[in-house]
Amino acid sequence: MKNDTLLSVKNLKTHFSVGNSVVKAVDGISFDLEPGKTFAIVGESGSGKSITALSIMGLLPNNLESVDRGKILFNNQDLLTLDEKEMRKIRGNSVSMIFQEPMTSLNPVYDLSFQISEAIMLHQNKNKQEARKIAIDMLDLVGIPEPQKRIDAFPHELSGGMRQRAMIAMALSCNPKILIADEPTTALDVTIQAQIIELMRDLQKKLGMAIIFITHDLGVVAEISDTVMVMYLGNTMEIANTNKIFSNPKHPYTKSLIEIAPQISEHKREIKVLKGEIPSPMNPPSGCVFRTRCPHASPDGKEAKIEMGLIEVEPGHWVDRCGVGCGN
Amino acid sequence: MGLVVATKMIEIRNLKKYFPLKGGFFNSKQADVKAVEKVNFDIPEGEILGLVGESGSGKTTLGRSIIRLIEPSEGEILYNNENILNFKEKDMRSLRKDFQIIFQDPYASLDPRKKIFDIIAQGLKIHTGLNKQEISNKVKSIIKEVGLQEEHLNRYPHEFSGGQRQRIGIARALVLEPKFIIADEPVSALDVTIQAQILKLILDLKEKYSLTILFISHDLSVINQIADRVMVMYLGHIVEVASTKQLFSNPKHPYTKSLIATAPQIFRKNENKIVLKGDIPSPINPPSGCVFRTRCPHASPDGKEAKIEMGLIEVEPGHWVDRCGANCS
Repeated sequence: MKNDTLLSVKNLKTHFSVGNSVVKAVDGISFDLEPGKTFAIVGESGSGKSITALSIMGLLPNNLESVDRGKILFNNQDLLTLDEKEMRKIRGNSVSMIFQEPMTSLNPVYDLSFQISEAIMLHQNKNKQEARKIAIDMLDLVGIPEPQKRIDAFPHELSGGMRQRAMIAMALSCNPKILIADEPTTALDVTIQAQIIELMRDLQKKLGMAIIFITHDLGVVAEISDTVMVMYLGNTMEIANTNKIFSNPKHPYTKSLIEIAPQISEHKREIKVLKGEIPSPMNPPSGCVFRTRCPHASPDGKEAKIEMGLIEVEPGHWVDRCGVGCGN
Repeated sequence: MGLVVATKMIEIRNLKKYFPLKGGFFNSKQADVKAVEKVNFDIPEGEILGLVGESGSGKTTLGRSIIRLIEPSEGEILYNNENILNFKEKDMRSLRKDFQIIFQDPYASLDPRKKIFDIIAQGLKIHTGLNKQEISNKVKSIIKEVGLQEEHLNRYPHEFSGGQRQRIGIARALVLEPKFIIADEPVSALDVTIQAQILKLILDLKEKYSLTILFISHDLSVINQIADRVMVMYLGHIVEVASTKQLFSNPKHPYTKSLIATAPQIFRKNENKIVLKGDIPSPINPPSGCVFRTRCPHASPDGKEAKIEMGLIEVEPGHWVDRCGANCS
């Protein structure tokens, strides 16, 4: 852990018991988040990226398997050891989160004033009037026109883009050090997505928070992040600086993702594909979890015996052991 | 084929769809949702025509109107030189065999209580006089075409992943050997790696069965991969039509330009991109004149765009742009 690390995730495991089996949703991932930077987590559905976020927030369901869960270090404490009362002081205060679907994550029966003020009154020791004033300032900050009027609006009176702005206002109202954004632009139209990405960048410049940005869209990753972690089936395949990962990807999964991402700049009609589907996390492949879809998997199946684990191939660029040399 | 002029699969003339908004006293009509406004276009045989736009642009309504899943308010849809809007229900039924649709959400578009075999066979039972054995043979052959196996036919939809369900949806559409397919956001609900698989499948099957496809999507990168020609829709109007190459290399309308410039790309740093302000206006009360003027970066302060009527003009062969957008930048 470097000195300027804000949050350090060490060998995080989040396993659930479902019936008689165990779902290894997150199976031993590690990364460091630096202050004021954007860390992107990219992967397909089922890769464990959202569960990683919810593990940090302490918002997991209670069917957790008791395994050694690793550590999530923030402010010299391990978030995994905190009880609910202590966690509540952090959640929504120094670490907050926004979600994909702003319609389902805002409460439809309360107006914005109530929902945004709630967090401010809880964490900042302000009375109702003061909190409302801060809430109005927050709406103004996130670019909602006529904030004095809109503060009394209910979620259904806002468009999708405005709702996401309101969510961001709520998440930032206590001036968090870390904002976790779980696919915040996926449900939005392209022009609105561009507005929200621009807004998040501006706010980061102004307020200086670090962002963990979860997405499946590599184009968005290229626009917003400083560092990228590629996840597959609960494991990390590759971590690198954003420019590095696109100019010099090492893992065959990362390479495939980049190759198949539809691009505007080229007019190729040939569509590249990665075969198969992500296996069930209840029964992941042994050894290298990517081997069942890997274009370089060997016929003798030796990848089944290679344990998962990151290797540093150049400073700051980490690749899973099996994926390091296999395509060359 | 050389210079043979492609025959037209479908011609759309002045197609309009308004949905009445009812309410108040005696449930009277309060207003209209102007979903599609007098659009004109042709789809040549064998073409994949991309239709792109944001939510509320009217692209789904337009797609469904063409096969009369939604009854258009006005206009003509010419198929084999006949206006299918004049067809009675019985004539339409035989036509439905030629026109099929693939939906966005593979979870919602397959009946959860039916086995895959019955889902795919249903159209054959209704539209063809085939006997049981012939139907069974056709279903078994199409399921392999879409990359699944015969044993999958005895299962229920919930046993499949999103990508597999979309393959089943494609099998259901293709088993009738249609001529024209509307693909309404067929890959939007899928993961990137599955999205690529389904796009490739659609392209392969298009060649094999010589299909004509109207491919609806909000995603310009996907449209760029699959379409021969692209139509851009905004608030019920077509604002630009061109070959895929023309549209992406030389976009003319400020809306198209902004869509292309703001689409997140891996290998392009968008430093000076034009981010459109505001939301798409309500189709109940669209702006007068040029419908894009409320978000247009080139709108003039005197508001003269409010008086420019919508209408496409040809700026280069095969490249049509809305009048206001053709001149404004």
